[in-house]
Parts: sequence; structure tokens; C-alpha cells
Amino acid sequence: MSTLKFRPLRVTAYTVCSAAGTGRAATLSALVERRSGLTPNDFGASPLATWIGRVPGLEEQALPAAWAEWECRNNRLAWRGLVTDDFVDAVAAARERYGAERIAVLIGTSTASIGASEDAYRRLESDGRYPADLRRPIVHTPHSLGDFVQHALALRGIAVTVATACSSSAKVFGQAERLIRAGLADAAVVGGVDTLCGSTLFGFNSLELIASERCRPFDVARHGINIGEAAGFALLEREAGSGAWLLGYGESSDAHHMSAPHPEGVGARRALQDALESSQLTPASIDYINLHGTASLKNDEVEARLVADLFPSRTFASSTKGWTGHTLGAAGIVEAAISLIALESGWLPGTLNTGQLDPACGPQIRRENEQRRAQRALSFSFGFGGSNCVLALGRGDLT
Amino acid sequence: MSAIQSAGERELAELIVTALNLEGVAPADIEPEAALFKTGLGLDSIDALELALEISKRYGFQLRSDDENNLRIFRSLRSLAAHIERHRTT
Amino acid sequence: MSALPPIAIEGVAFWHTRMPGWTIARAVIRGEQDASATPAPRPTPGLLAPTERRRAPDTVALALEVAARACEAADRSPAQLRSVFASTYGDLGISDYMCATLAGTPTLISPTKFHNSVHNAAAGYWSIGTASHASYTAISAYRYTFASAVLEAATQVVCDEQPVVCVAFDVEAKGPLGTVAPSTGLLGVALVLAPPRGESQRTLALRVEQGSAADITQARSGAAALVAENALAPCLPFFEALAHSTPASVVLALSDHCLLHAQVSGSQ
Repeated sequence: MSTLKFRPLRVTAYTVCSAAGTGRAATLSALVERRSGLTPNDFGASPLATWIGRVPGLEEQALPAAWAEWECRNNRLAWRGLVTDDFVDAVAAARERYGAERIAVLIGTSTASIGASEDAYRRLESDGRYPADLRRPIVHTPHSLGDFVQHALALRGIAVTVATACSSSAKVFGQAERLIRAGLADAAVVGGVDTLCGSTLFGFNSLELIASERCRPFDVARHGINIGEAAGFALLEREAGSGAWLLGYGESSDAHHMSAPHPEGVGARRALQDALESSQLTPASIDYINLHGTASLKNDEVEARLVADLFPSRTFASSTKGWTGHTLGAAGIVEAAISLIALESGWLPGTLNTGQLDPACGPQIRRENEQRRAQRALSFSFGFGGSNCVLALGRGDLT
Repeated sequence: MSAIQSAGERELAELIVTALNLEGVAPADIEPEAALFKTGLGLDSIDALELALEISKRYGFQLRSDDENNLRIFRSLRSLAAHIERHRTT
Repeated sequence: MSALPPIAIEGVAFWHTRMPGWTIARAVIRGEQDASATPAPRPTPGLLAPTERRRAPDTVALALEVAARACEAADRSPAQLRSVFASTYGDLGISDYMCATLAGTPTLISPTKFHNSVHNAAAGYWSIGTASHASYTAISAYRYTFASAVLEAATQVVCDEQPVVCVAFDVEAKGPLGTVAPSTGLLGVALVLAPPRGESQRTLALRVEQGSAADITQARSGAAALVAENALAPCLPFFEALAHSTPASVVLALSDHCLLHAQVSGSQ
């Protein structure tokens, strides 16, 4: 078997919609102006006392009639993402170039449209059946999201939904690279969508991981996460004349505990090592790191030590979850998009809401924004269940 | 100290075995003074959360995870049963 | 059309409530034996430590059983293998529990059941149980789940020149969710796929083509009726091919317009 070598892919289009803003420009403004998208929780009938990253206006924006089969909050947010930053047009152009069957669809999520199932259970009919408006099987399965995106983009090839918790929409980048390398696709739509729902709000609450106030990543007094919803997408191509770069990636497992990270960050370090190796970069060549930084006690401690151990002090590292909340299955794509926005704009976002940094932090972890020309970034996603993914992203020339 | 379970301890032992699906552990065999966490029964932090939930449902009061006395309260079947006895509302 | 170079199938595993193991499933498929008269209890995940074992829901028990059996059949140490885990619906029992509890007493969600509700629970438990730091993925593709899992695992084998265990499973639906997400019984399958090493290995050559559901291979063995009501039933034609020693061609659907052609070589 001949070795198929990894080669960087072009990121020729991308978009992000979160509580911080709809689209790249709005997201950049929010980052530069230090405007958090977090608000007090008002989601559901008896909202938990916490803060959330809620995307406004989804309640009023039903899917176009052609997509009625897939109607649910999660797909509404997916649709909003697709029509932002002309992403759907970029995909249409790629479809013309490559053919609808040569563009893979790989989308990450943690809960997809479980919110629709939750809603059905609150409105069961007297015979135990779902209400008529929710008797649409596709929305009650994890692939609700990937299936919707494939249909909405009129694509006809490979389509998969990835659900590895917080690493989902980072792992899809690696999955796309392999499909393209193996010749099974020429391009891929990667991304992720997660929306507010009872399962994650009350589920993380049962694990005492939810903060009652705004989350403060890496703060010495942090006490948990804020959940956010978001959609993000990127178009990856084997070759293109311009665009950003997926330079490499690394993936691993912690093999420690379902809901706590490995205390020495063994899996995280391995994923980082593999990302650096595949992208032929060294820690010193990294300008910006978008950290996972959920503001949970354990994640941030392990991550802070990893960064302090392995990176020089000039590296600029931050968590942007103070702007968006923890968008779970969408965190990978949201933070990859923010990393690309940082590289393109020269604005490196600090860490919002954070006061005094935990002593485990080295000089790399920043609270304040900085304007700095940056070419190489890493994005960390360390998920529930010990699934880790590190992406290496870049702009400019490859050398 | 008695190594025999009181009625309250026995009831709690049954709750623990059921709530945590402790295979092969008979409620009557849980030594009242033996450690519940790390050693002894070897329960972990998820079990603590699960137990707190079941206890709140059965006995009508909330065990707080930030209670500084938790190490003492959760130390053994006996200490946990005594704490429940003092605070139960159902 | 796009094709992957042939890879080796080093290990096969199968578990169904009435065919609890590849040996019996293969015999039922070949018409040599009847399925078990009585349903087997769910497997016990032996490689999990007691703490994880007592928490494991049906999906985890089932997935880990077939993953372990496939690795044994391949004579591969699980810790070295990357893995692909796949399920159409995930743990339907836990989804029913979550929705019912959220509708009634949301603040009383069981932390254990929540942490078992994530789609990557089986993958996570597997990595913990095998102490494996190799990467895993957990995917879903509705009725195309098994085909997507095989293609993903095969792509990893070809790109990284490393063996991969591919695990797919679906369980019984419970409660109102079952009216829109139907599935009965427990069905789990696993394959260890690897770079080819020698002439004597059974190989798998995959290619992806446009086509419609009308062109997929229909299951036709005695096992078909048994698994028909389980959401993972679309995998059966592939295992019918593996049950025989002759070369076979199986067509599975990857999406509404896309087919996976699987050419299985003969086996000794």
C-alpha cells in the first residue's frame, strides 16, 4: 500500500453564528469591542440560574417551506449559518466546479435536535404519541443535522454527523482531510451546530458543572461553564488559489473518565503533538492558541499547565468562551472560525470576564486583546468522554 | 461501635446498592463503619452526585456539594445515615 | 467514481439477542442452524473495571462486547487501535429517560444517566476500558450509519496505514420516542480492518458511486427476519457476504443518492 501523504487543505469559505454575533464581521466587532454574547438564562419553562449564549431571533425564523421536514431549532440555526457570509453561494460554486457528489458533508453536534424530542414529551397526546407537528422521524435522530445540511446544500455524496461531544466540529476537519486525501471527495463542507436544550442545561447541571454567573475561563475563582448555542461552517478544498489553510490536526483519547479530563493532560498533549507534527510546526512558530478554556475547574487547570509547559512566553493564548459560551458540539468550528478571524484581522482576542488568573497559568494566557500580526494558530477542543482534537490553522504562504 | 446495621442504615444501604447498581454487593454486607469512597466500597465523584440526588428524592432534603463537612458526612454508611436522620423531611 | 485500495478484514463480530455471537450468526445466515429460541441477556462488558461496568447502559455493553470479540478474532490488542463507533439512534432507553425526566422534574436528572447519554459514551468507555489513547470517533448517518462507519474506518486504514476497529450498534426503543425512532432488540457488529499483510487474508475493496436505494443489496438469509426491526438492520447484507467463503459484492447506501460498493474477497 503506498503512503498517501497528508497535505494542507485550503479553507476557501467559512462562517460563524453565535450569541456574540451573526457572521464573521459581527463576530470580529464583538471580539474587538469586548462585547460578550452571554445573557442571563431565560431558556425554557423553569430556567436554571445561569448565563447562556443564546442566538436571538431563532423563534421567529422557521425554515423555508422546502425544508419543513427538518424543522426544529437546531436546523433553524444551521440554516442561519449556511445563509450567512454567502456560505451557501460558495458551496454552490464549488458544486459547479466539482459536482454535487464530490463534496462531502461532515457536521458535528452533541445533541442535534434532541430539543424537538424533549418538546414532544411535554406535549404527548393522550395515547402517548407525539403531537402531529413533531411526527417527523428525521429530527429525532442524531443525523438530523448532517442530513439537513446535505439537503439544504443540494449535495449528493458522503454525509455524516459526528457526535463526540466538545471535539465534534474539530474532528470533522480531520475526517474531511482524510476523505480528500483518499480521493473520495474533492472538497468538504465541515461544521457544527448545537442549540440550547434541556438535556445539556440540566444534564451538565446534574454534574455540577454549570456556573451560576458569567463563566470566567482560567480565573482562580472560576466555578463552571455557561452553555451557548452556535452554528459554524467551513468549505475545505484540495486546491485553491487563495484562502486560509488547514495545516494539520491531531486527535487522541484521554482514556481516563467520561466526565473529567486526564489530570496530566496525557490525551491533550498527544493530540497537540500530532497536530504540530502533521503541520510541521513547532510551539515557537505558533502565534495564537484558541484554548478550550471552558471555565470548569478541571479542564482549565489541566490546560493551563499544558500551555505553560510547552509554549514560549510570547505565544498568545486565550479562551473565547466568555464571548460565546461553551457551544459544545459547535465549539470546534466556532473556535476554528475565531482563530481564522484573528489571523486575518490581526486582532487577537483575550479572555473575557476573567479577573485574576489561576496560578497554574503561564504568561501565555492573556486577558486583554492585542493587535498582532499572526500567521499560525492552534485551536484546542477537549471533550466529554476524553475525546481530544487540536487543529493547526494558518494564513499566508505555506513555507 | 456496633457492626450491625440499624434499620435506617439498612434502608440507606439498599438505596446505595440500587442507585449505584452495585453488582454483587448485598446491602446487609456493607459494614456500617467502613469507608464508602476511594477505599471500602470505592465510590467516586459521580457516585456522590448520584447518591445526593437519590437521597434528596427519598428523604426530601438537599445534600450540598460545597458543604465543608462532606468528607465526614459521606465517610461511611453510619455517618451518612446519621446525617439523613438529622435532616430528613420525609 | 472513487475507490479505496483493498484492505484486510482481520476480525468480525456480531451480537443479536437471538444470535449472540458471530459463530451462531454465521450458521443461521448459512441456514445450518436455527437462531436461539430464547433471547440472550445483554452481554457483560468484561473489560470494564467494576465502577464503569456497573454504570454501563445497554449500548455500551453491546458495543464493547462486539469490539472486544472482533479484536480477539483479529489477534490485535485493543489499546493500539483507533476506533469508529456508530449508531443510528444511540441509547434509546436513555433518550427516553432524559426526555421524560425533563418533561417532569428536570432538576432531578441522574448524573450517571446524563453522562451515559452522550453519543460517544460507548467510544469513551471503550477507550477507558482498554486504556487506549488512540483516537476514536462516534458517528451517525440515520439508515446509512453502518455503511458510513465502514467507509470512515476504511479511509482511516488507507490514510494512516494502521488497523481500526469499526463498531456499530442499535438497541431497543423505549417509550414515546419509539413511535418515531423504531428499533427492537439489541444488534451490534464490529470489524477490525487493517492494511493488507498477505495473500491469505480476506480483503475488502470499497468504492463510492452515485445511485439510488433501489440498487442496494437485499438481505435474504434466515437472519433477515430476526434483525429486520432493529435500526441497524441495513448492515445485514454485508455480514451475509462475510458468512460465506466465496467472493461477494454488496451494495449499501451511503446517502440518498450515493452508494457504497463493497467487494469482499473469498476466504480460506
